[in-house]
Amino acid sequence: MSTAMNFGSKSFKPRPPDKGAFPLDHLGECKGFKEKFMTCLRENSFESALCRQESKDYLECRMERQLMAKEPLEKLGFKDLIDEKLEAKHDKV
Amino acid sequence: MLGLSYAAVPLYRLYCQATGLGGSAVAGHGSDQIETMEPVKDRIIKVTFNADVHASLSWNFRPQQTEIYVVPGETALAFYKAKNSTDKPIIGISTYNVVPFEAGQYFNKIQCFCFEEQRLNPHEEVDMPVFFFIDPEFAEDPRMARVDLITLSYTFFEAKEGHKLPLPGYQ
Repeated sequence: MSTAMNFGSKSFKPRPPDKGAFPLDHLGECKGFKEKFMTCLRENSFESALCRQESKDYLECRMERQLMAKEPLEKLGFKDLIDEKLEAKHDKV
Repeated sequence: MLGLSYAAVPLYRLYCQATGLGGSAVAGHGSDQIETMEPVKDRIIKVTFNADVHASLSWNFRPQQTEIYVVPGETALAFYKAKNSTDKPIIGISTYNVVPFEAGQYFNKIQCFCFEEQRLNPHEEVDMPVFFFIDPEFAEDPRMARVDLITLSYTFFEAKEGHKLPLPGYQ
């Protein structure tokens, strides 16, 4: 856990998370979404970029159950996934 | 070294009490940056995960993935898991570390489970997510040019009632 015990060398200073801590999902309400996400990671050699839809679904699950403060998905870095959805809708019309 | 990590926890709590920013954003970069940042797709970074518990904490705490491949400028999700294998509720509190040290300044946790007390009931097991991104400026820092591995380590301690952790001089 700790860095090397060198006097004079800089040591890591932990910073609190921007949006604070996630409340614990004691009831496992979003466990299904987590499992989908983990399966996606395992099937895609743990490449995060290929499982962003699943990560978005997990965070949306939390938001719907008050396990995370509600935020527009753009502010969580999912702007491109939302744009894709909107484009798909336009194409259908 | 242990002292500094201990200090981070009560200091963060003091900070939260003073400012009332229990969970909200720290000033500076925040959702605005996240909304506008662009992924640097040609800079793949492997993030590996460590989990530790302090000797006195009877939790089984581990990462749910050994590694994940991310790029700067793109948010990413990862999970840890914690289980209280005893017959009594235990409250834990964690801190984290990032190596290499210089990469740590680019490692931004949007939300996680650290620095706040987490209570696990007897025999309870929970998922603990970490939602983070690596600042796109990482890709522009020449000192980071050869960094393609970042290790995130979390350590849980038991949070005891009335227990005062020693606070070394904090610069």
